Amino acid sequence: MDLIVSLAINGLATGMLIFLLAAGLTLIFGLMDVLNFAHGGLFVWGAFSGVWVYNLTGNFMLGIAAAIVTGLILGAITEFLIIRPVYGNHIQQILITLGLMLVLGELIKVVFGPEQKSAVPPAFLDGSFMLGDIILIKYRLFIIAVGIFIFALTTFILKRTRIGLIVRAGVMNKEMVQSLGINIQFVFMAVFMVGAAMAALSGMLMAPYSGVIYAEMGLEFAILAFIVVVIGGMGSFKGSLFAAILVGLTQAFMAYYVPALSLAVNMLLMTAVLIFRPEGLFKVKG
Amino acid sequence: MNLRHIERSTWIYIAFALLLFIVPFLFTGRSMLFMIMQVFIFGIFAMSYDLLLGYTGIISFGHAMFFGIGAYSAAIVMDLNDSTLLSLAAGVLVAVIIAAIVSFIAGILTLRLKSHFYAMLTLALAGLFLVAAEKWTSLTGGGEGFTFRLPEFLRDSGTMYMICLISLVVFFFGLRRFTKSPLGKVLVAIRENENRTESLGFQVLHYKVIVSVIAGVIASFAGVLYVLSLRFIDTSVFAVDVTLDALLMTIIGGVGTLIGPLIGAGLVEFAHHWLSDLADVHWIFERWIILYGIVYILAVIFFPLGIAGTIQSKFSNRVTKGLFKK
Amino acid sequence: MSNLLELQQVEAYIQQYHILHDISFEVPKGEVTVLLGRNGAGKTTTLRTIMGLNQASGGSIIYNDKEIGQLKTHSIAQNGIGYVPEDQGIFDNLTVGENLKVAMKKEDEETTTRMEWVLGLFPDLQKFWKKPGGQLSGGQKQMLAIARAYVNENELLLIDEPSKGLAPIIVEKVMESIQQMKEQTTILLVEQNFLMASKIGDRFYIIDDGQTIHNGQMDELKNDKALMKKYLGIA
Repeated sequence: MDLIVSLAINGLATGMLIFLLAAGLTLIFGLMDVLNFAHGGLFVWGAFSGVWVYNLTGNFMLGIAAAIVTGLILGAITEFLIIRPVYGNHIQQILITLGLMLVLGELIKVVFGPEQKSAVPPAFLDGSFMLGDIILIKYRLFIIAVGIFIFALTTFILKRTRIGLIVRAGVMNKEMVQSLGINIQFVFMAVFMVGAAMAALSGMLMAPYSGVIYAEMGLEFAILAFIVVVIGGMGSFKGSLFAAILVGLTQAFMAYYVPALSLAVNMLLMTAVLIFRPEGLFKVKG
Repeated sequence: MNLRHIERSTWIYIAFALLLFIVPFLFTGRSMLFMIMQVFIFGIFAMSYDLLLGYTGIISFGHAMFFGIGAYSAAIVMDLNDSTLLSLAAGVLVAVIIAAIVSFIAGILTLRLKSHFYAMLTLALAGLFLVAAEKWTSLTGGGEGFTFRLPEFLRDSGTMYMICLISLVVFFFGLRRFTKSPLGKVLVAIRENENRTESLGFQVLHYKVIVSVIAGVIASFAGVLYVLSLRFIDTSVFAVDVTLDALLMTIIGGVGTLIGPLIGAGLVEFAHHWLSDLADVHWIFERWIILYGIVYILAVIFFPLGIAGTIQSKFSNRVTKGLFKK
Repeated sequence: MSNLLELQQVEAYIQQYHILHDISFEVPKGEVTVLLGRNGAGKTTTLRTIMGLNQASGGSIIYNDKEIGQLKTHSIAQNGIGYVPEDQGIFDNLTVGENLKVAMKKEDEETTTRMEWVLGLFPDLQKFWKKPGGQLSGGQKQMLAIARAYVNENELLLIDEPSKGLAPIIVEKVMESIQQMKEQTTILLVEQNFLMASKIGDRFYIIDDGQTIHNGQMDELKNDKALMKKYLGIA
């Protein structure tokens, strides 16, 4: 019993990290029709810059702030320099974001050095406590809490604010939004920056969770996020949470019982969705 | 066949191919010969990519997967059996069958959807194969890889060179013929306007799946040649870098031209060699992917027709505008 | 009388196809100007080009004595042009209220007054305030689209075929409300339903093969059977 609970918590924590990555992907896709293959690059940059500041200052919260700022800046640069020049051409957009992914991954090695870095949870999140017979690891609960908080915050922004309203309208009909006098370019930039910041935050939270970070983990994690986006439905924010938890749980349980097959099982899940419901479990566009 | 009906460009290609046949007699340096062989092998690989991207408008981010399937199939079959011609043939057969099955499945699943689905699925599948190659150590030797013995007659680098060159010539002219055939014309029509092609009564999905399979099989053959030339294999054949190579070669050389990817393969392979040498001068050159990536990004934005495409557009009106139209 | 909008020899392409060759017309303030013409003549493209959704490749588009041909769509809209596209452009997952709120640039007194006025015109919208736009009937969608184009301080409304796909009785209702809006705003209307167009239109232009080929007062057209037969295929 305690094994199952602890695996479930692992799965939820992993799921939240994937969700933070996939949420940005899905929002950007929904609004801009761009599947950002460089999203994993933003994830690693968040991890490395955040850990660097964390190790330098000893302050975990500063590390998180640094990761978010890195994400915002890289998001703005990416949108402006990489996505905008090829706006409206799908093939160029897809091709170019993969190139950016590889450049971001290699740049990590230039800036922070090619070796992997280690990170430990801060003192106030270190260790565990008992709940009955079950050992609860604080840092994992922290990740789950952050994930829930970000989901709630984003949902609130989408449902209750004007910018959220514009984003939701833009997902459905970009031309009409512009015809109502709204500068959609500004909205694109904002959503891209927020999506990038979520990816960077995910990377930073990941660091003390897995203990080590390395440049290649961006692509590995991004593949999970792509699987999530397909399962949840391209452009669906709610779908990305649901699918991320599903994939996270599968990952955690498979990693314990049949570790070699954990990616394969998630691929199978995606395949099933592609066969029976290619628009994803939560359909957004008509 | 009436020789007068052959296009002038064909004569130029034939002349150039003949020239390449005498190269081994001129250069005896093994490393130079090896370099040129790599250009041939990656040329075949890049052409198969061009068939997808340039001629049909399909983006694959997992082309390394087929290359790796070919490489591992040949290496494993030869390693488990005697190093004879027969086991090599069996290895090629296994490679072709697995590549055909995987490309068929990937195609049937995602090619009816928007283009990023195929890109994503192939990227994920390639990741899966990479993990499999790392984890299934009893078969693949894991990350360390393994060496294997070649059949006697292939150990001579001159013979290997000829095999690579002949394969390149066969694939080049074969694919050229294919792209000019009625089937090839349908592919271009799909790239230019998928909906209209569909409404003309063509089953677009069928054509796309066929191309996906052909490209996958040819890429796996390139992978076979690659391990034969190396006599060694490790998981790097599944790396994203290999896919990036194909992308870079195709885009720099010129999408939808076939000759472009060959030019691109030459440029990229030699640049690779040159940059590795420079690594002794400055460590930044070890990170050559950065340079490749930046060149690639700039090429996609500013030079989307590539070298061959740009030359073609200067000389004729038949430009491959469709792929990069707004 | 001054012209609110004026097009001079406007040309436009869609991809490589030359759709608009020479479109020239004037929309006088306070009137309903109707663009008539066959399917595929370029009427919708004309509206899209005014809106900046399609770039004009030649000629000039003058709105309130200002050239707007090079502006981006959102600036054109901010200058005071409201647009009701052929497919109405309703945000299906947003409620009726949200559809209107997206359009509201500010929530000052003037906007509120306009909103109240237009809701008075279309009481259905008030009634289905919380219903998702995608669940409305065709006629209600049309009303929502028109109301949405009106709530801002737009001086000119571009309305593309409001009668399309609606039952005759609904068409009448929609047209009635457009007639009432005439008192408040200037309208450029594209309409295939000549009967309806002739009831509310003041002036007309006929577009054929991307060119404005004929214009005049609506009353003249009603009596010119030959002209109608020639360009509109109605006797």
